[in-house]
Amino acid sequence: MKILVLNCGSSSVKFQLLETDAESARAGTDRALAKGLVENIGGTAALKFEVPGRKPVKETAEILEHTVAVEKVLGFLTDAGNGLLRDRREIAAVGHRVVHGGERFKASALITDDVLQGIEACFDMAPLHNPPNVRGYQAVRAVLPDVPQVAVFDTSFHQTMPAEAYLYGLPYVLYQRHGIRRYGFHGTSHRFVSARLASLLGRSPDDAGLRLITCHLGNGSSVAAIRGGRSLDTSMGFTPLEGLVMGTRSGDVDPAAVLHAMEREEIGVGQANAMLNKHGGLLGISGVSHDMRALLEAEGQGNARAGLAVDVFCYRLRKYVAAYIGVLGGVDGLAFAGGIGENSAAIRARALAGLEGLGLSVDASLNAAARGSETEISPPGAATRVFVVPTNEELLIARDTCAIVSGTPSSSGVTQQSKPASGE
Amino acid sequence: MGKGIATACAGAGFDVLVVDRSAAIAVYAVEKISKELDRDIAKWRHTTSEKKAILGRLRAVDGPGALEPADLVIEALSDDLALKVQTFAELDRVCSPDTILATNSSTLSVTEIAAHTKRPDRVIGLHFLNPGPRVPLVEIARGLETSDLTVTAAREFVHQLGKTGVELFESPGYVTTRVIVPFLNEAMYVLMEGVATADAVDTALKLGYGLPVGPLALADRLGLDELLRWMQHLFQELGDLKYRPCPLLRQKIRAGHVGVKSGRGFFEYDENGQVKTAEAA
Repeated sequence: MKILVLNCGSSSVKFQLLETDAESARAGTDRALAKGLVENIGGTAALKFEVPGRKPVKETAEILEHTVAVEKVLGFLTDAGNGLLRDRREIAAVGHRVVHGGERFKASALITDDVLQGIEACFDMAPLHNPPNVRGYQAVRAVLPDVPQVAVFDTSFHQTMPAEAYLYGLPYVLYQRHGIRRYGFHGTSHRFVSARLASLLGRSPDDAGLRLITCHLGNGSSVAAIRGGRSLDTSMGFTPLEGLVMGTRSGDVDPAAVLHAMEREEIGVGQANAMLNKHGGLLGISGVSHDMRALLEAEGQGNARAGLAVDVFCYRLRKYVAAYIGVLGGVDGLAFAGGIGENSAAIRARALAGLEGLGLSVDASLNAAARGSETEISPPGAATRVFVVPTNEELLIARDTCAIVSGTPSSSGVTQQSKPASGE
Repeated sequence: MGKGIATACAGAGFDVLVVDRSAAIAVYAVEKISKELDRDIAKWRHTTSEKKAILGRLRAVDGPGALEPADLVIEALSDDLALKVQTFAELDRVCSPDTILATNSSTLSVTEIAAHTKRPDRVIGLHFLNPGPRVPLVEIARGLETSDLTVTAAREFVHQLGKTGVELFESPGYVTTRVIVPFLNEAMYVLMEGVATADAVDTALKLGYGLPVGPLALADRLGLDELLRWMQHLFQELGDLKYRPCPLLRQKIRAGHVGVKSGRGFFEYDENGQVKTAEAA
């Protein structure tokens, strides 16, 4: 079954076309047929299309809205020269990454009017993400009106968190009236990576005693504590702002500091929100960049603020990892995923430095060699095994979408795999 | 005001053509918008990439002749009826017959302006308040001949700007200007009569009624010359003494103290428009 997976941002559309079904998902042989992205929608957009084993196609075009971007993607997929699809009707279903599903969506869902309203009800909680996700859905509906579409939520996996982990120390009425609690994000990634990590440890992902910590470190970053395949806690909260220091997001901050800043700087809610989400984090501390590669380079050239930003990032991560060892009562395996987690040996080493007493360490040469593929980086015989595990949210979204439209949703949605699915 | 409206539209994703008295002034206006956006970045209102996107959607053009492809034209000239009438007649000639023509004036008559075009059904009032990108309100004013279709299109446009539209029938000052102007005028009388200092007047009203800005500071921001024009117009149109401009307002204008834009009005301002010291009036 051919599934188109879309991840729509405010001015971008990332896509993958995947071939999957229940059997190939079980065997881990399902794969991406093509992928690409359209950036800077609303102006002169940059398009990049890739088919495995071929030279990427790059072009620019005036693309003013998501519908046109989706048309472009379909045009590429059905281009005879690419040999991917003879007809756009070969697309059996479209799966969307949707950031916030609130308490309502504990699993992926076929998008109906009712589900759409549920997603829109979460706009306030994920103002940067949910609206463009919906725009992507609408764009597909305009172009492929008869194709079923499925929403796969970043929050669903963490719906297993117990109340003691998801409640804030706030008046309980705020939870009752406005749903103010911790939800957690990157659920699709944590679900995928933890299942792979279990498999690498030779255990079943739902092995009740298996204690895992997964670190998804990208432009947005989060850590999750997972026992028996169920998320017990994660660092992001009511919105994707809480927890680790991120590219432009502050992560944990004393709320009173924000209120104080609002008063002193005479700024309103909108500006404070932008300050925390777009002007904070690595960019805010360093004043240099939101990009970890650029910061490490600047640090190497003697930029102290860049180095400070990296230190704050690593320290915060170390604190969360240690806390989650406490939550889990020990840890059997830890995985690094996401752009930073998969590619930056320096960050992996700096983040875990000092946790040797808790059984966590990396082997310098194994760590340095690991880049973008499933690799063990802890020293041989370590108490807790540490891996780099490339995440593959698109594959999991495609599997969920396929399962839902073929009417055979798997109970947990976590599929077993016998070998790496990301192709590296 | 035009710069603020242009920024609000570009910020909401519309492609905007900027026309001013000359091509050079239009280019200068876009440069000023760019500087204003830098201030916004420093205050965390925008990111550098948002600024780039906004500027990418703004284009300074030579004159009204370049507006032919526009779906909507928003005029934001100063409130001078003869100038507006002449401009709308020209817009009517150069724009596509489907183009909606809007005036940002809240005091002049949409009906009268529309009467000088061949498309009075597609002329409407869209009143933005300063600062255009940030005030979340637009008054949508229907002239005598404005069609339902035009009102619906205007409503949708305002919604796409992310602002709230308040619909009303044309009347001098609409809601906002008509109600605020006598309020500001009364504050000036209180000051002129020596009842309280400018600072005291503003502090009393700000704290007493939870206003974000006092009436005299607000008058300075609006521009005292502009305010006088509105008052004279309301006075003339409605004939009620409550719209009679306070003599102190005229005196300030004669001295060249027209508010924030001249560095001095009821208060003194630095280059960034921040209050320097309270003037002992």
